[in-house]
Amino acid sequence: MKKSMKLGALALASALALSVVAVAPSATAATCKKKTEVVMFGTIKKEIREQFLAAASSYNRSQNCYNLKSILGDDSLTFLQNITPKYATKNAPTIMYDLQYIPDMADKVMDWKGTKLMSLASPGLLAAANIGGKQVGLPSTAEAFGLVYNKAVIKEAGIDVTKIKTWKDLEAAFKKVEAAGKKPLHFSAIWWSLGAHFTNMYHTTAGKTHEARLKVLDDLVDGKKDLSKDPAFKNWLATYDLLKKYNQGAVNLTDTEFDASIANLASGDYGFMFQGNWTEPSLNTIAKSTKFGLMNLPMSNDPKGYGNDSIPVGVPGYFMIDKQQSTKEERAGAIDFLTWLYTSPQGQRFVADPVTEGGMGFIPVYKGFKTKPATSMAGDIANFVNAGKTLEWINTYYPGGLQEEVGKVSMQQYFTDKISKAELATAIQNAWKGKPKTWRGEAA
Amino acid sequence: MILLKAEKEVQVISARKTKKFLKFAGIPLVIFTIVLVVPFVNGFYYTFTDWDGFEVTKLVGFKNYADSFADPKFWVTLRFTALFVVVSLVLVNVVAFGLALIVTSKLRSRNILRTFFFVPNLIGGVVLGVIWQFIFNSAIVSLANKYDVELFKESWLQDTNKAFWALIIVTVWQSSGYMMIVYITGLVSIENDVLEASQIDGASPLRTLFLIKIPLMAQAFTIALFLTLRSGFMAYDVNVALTDGGPFRTTELISLHIFQDAFLEGDFGTGQSKAVVMFLVVALAALVQVTISKRYEVQR
Repeated sequence: MKKSMKLGALALASALALSVVAVAPSATAATCKKKTEVVMFGTIKKEIREQFLAAASSYNRSQNCYNLKSILGDDSLTFLQNITPKYATKNAPTIMYDLQYIPDMADKVMDWKGTKLMSLASPGLLAAANIGGKQVGLPSTAEAFGLVYNKAVIKEAGIDVTKIKTWKDLEAAFKKVEAAGKKPLHFSAIWWSLGAHFTNMYHTTAGKTHEARLKVLDDLVDGKKDLSKDPAFKNWLATYDLLKKYNQGAVNLTDTEFDASIANLASGDYGFMFQGNWTEPSLNTIAKSTKFGLMNLPMSNDPKGYGNDSIPVGVPGYFMIDKQQSTKEERAGAIDFLTWLYTSPQGQRFVADPVTEGGMGFIPVYKGFKTKPATSMAGDIANFVNAGKTLEWINTYYPGGLQEEVGKVSMQQYFTDKISKAELATAIQNAWKGKPKTWRGEAA
Repeated sequence: MILLKAEKEVQVISARKTKKFLKFAGIPLVIFTIVLVVPFVNGFYYTFTDWDGFEVTKLVGFKNYADSFADPKFWVTLRFTALFVVVSLVLVNVVAFGLALIVTSKLRSRNILRTFFFVPNLIGGVVLGVIWQFIFNSAIVSLANKYDVELFKESWLQDTNKAFWALIIVTVWQSSGYMMIVYITGLVSIENDVLEASQIDGASPLRTLFLIKIPLMAQAFTIALFLTLRSGFMAYDVNVALTDGGPFRTTELISLHIFQDAFLEGDFGTGQSKAVVMFLVVALAALVQVTISKRYEVQR
């Protein structure tokens, strides 16, 4: 154990030494007469703002052709709310990053096809940003959600999370946590968690193939789907009830709920919460020495049931490059920066190093990464990915405004026992009816 | 000949007048046109197009208006907004007038109270909303659980009716200080001789208030009522920061609804046409209110 730690330290030290050497401007960078300013909207995520800006300034020092500048939007607004005024005033940023509004942006951004970066990206993660054959965006990282757990509490309660495959297993685990004098679960009622991630647990298990899952969306839009007759939906409701039953967090429908759930799990009083790996940096900020894991949420009592041993892995956002209001140089700079970020040794360290060491803690989704996933949850996700136990993020295909409508209204109403199961099913069906089928190439 | 001369004189005078007018009003007029008239006309034009927030490709006639009126949520939000306007209008003005009476009385602490009541108005709506969100969500709830007060044990923001009152409380708290200033101006503008005369005639303080003070300061009411009516319809920041339309999107005021229609669901056409409808509603309501309150004003 000690020996391996020493080895690790040695590896880290040599990596650091290497990075010092690598800071010198690369020979391949041409000398330019003047620097072109490339504007990027946002910093990928606000949680890693500092780390991203450090990466950008490292890039700016590494060559003398481009100067990457990040402009910040209003965090309380959606991407579309932020970006439309910029387009209207002919001030569009060159690099944009988003997931939900990719279909809206498809005709305004360039096609990534033929670029070096695209050839290195994991093929399975490109589909969500492929609109009618055009590669609108490239992925930033992989994220996953499921049950996040406090490893210290789980250990204390004597639970082996790898053995949890059914509701029964999960319930037994919750009871063990209770027996250890802790609270089993914080299942938060925050709208985006319910509206995007928890509803995805149904959509991702509603069909065993990609096409079958999209067919469910088609039927919902056409008003042909009766959710209450779908066994996967019934299972999903039962899972919802199970989590509600063991939830010990105070029910709160406002955004403060997110911070409360993180504080609870980090405090060591709770065993599990339904969230994703994006909570890890915040959890580790509060509980520095505690490790947190990510595991599957069983959706039935059948140990071989579809998806019971898997977690939904997806891309939280895609990089898009404007082609309407940018110059050729700006586009070249945008491609150069993103390629540098994901392929150069310094860039990769910013991408994949743990947040505590100045990196963004991303899970590599491009070929040729030398760095290993550095965090506990990143390791868990890598295990699921390597074992092929991943589920799709159908929520990537939700039309704009749908997750708000479902999450803020019917899902929170069911959470607080205001409506019945049948009413929840009808509400979800109504929310989908008549929405554009962007996954079939319809305009948003 | 004489007639021509007179005509010329009139022309000179009117030219001089125009010059004078432009000297004083020119810059404000230009600014007003650029930041208000042009965007307004432009926005009005957009309601007849298929504008998607980025570009216009064709004219669609009254389709956006038809869609807006066919949206049941639009009507629900309008009703909710109307209720909010009426309740907040009444409460803000009653409280503000009461505060104005307190700080114009012979209390020793009246100057400090004046500052006290006015301060909430200096805090921005969003900040205020966040502060009160914490108060309603955490502070009150934990106190209520400690001292066993049933009414406050669950956060008020969790229940539609209580969330409505939470919005009202914060709005009253925020704007009554400002309206108080308007009422103070009204109260101190009443000439002392009138008040003294009523005193000599033996009018009780209550009688003086209703028969002398209030009629003589009716102008202050016109202004205060207009301002609260307008801000009630336009309320947005407190709505976003305090309830964000929750629970279950039942506390969305019209401004928030329009904003979400346009920017969340990407329906810019209907969002814009709802905004035009709202403009007409506010303009009409304000016109009616001002006409009625003007009738009560005493001309001196």
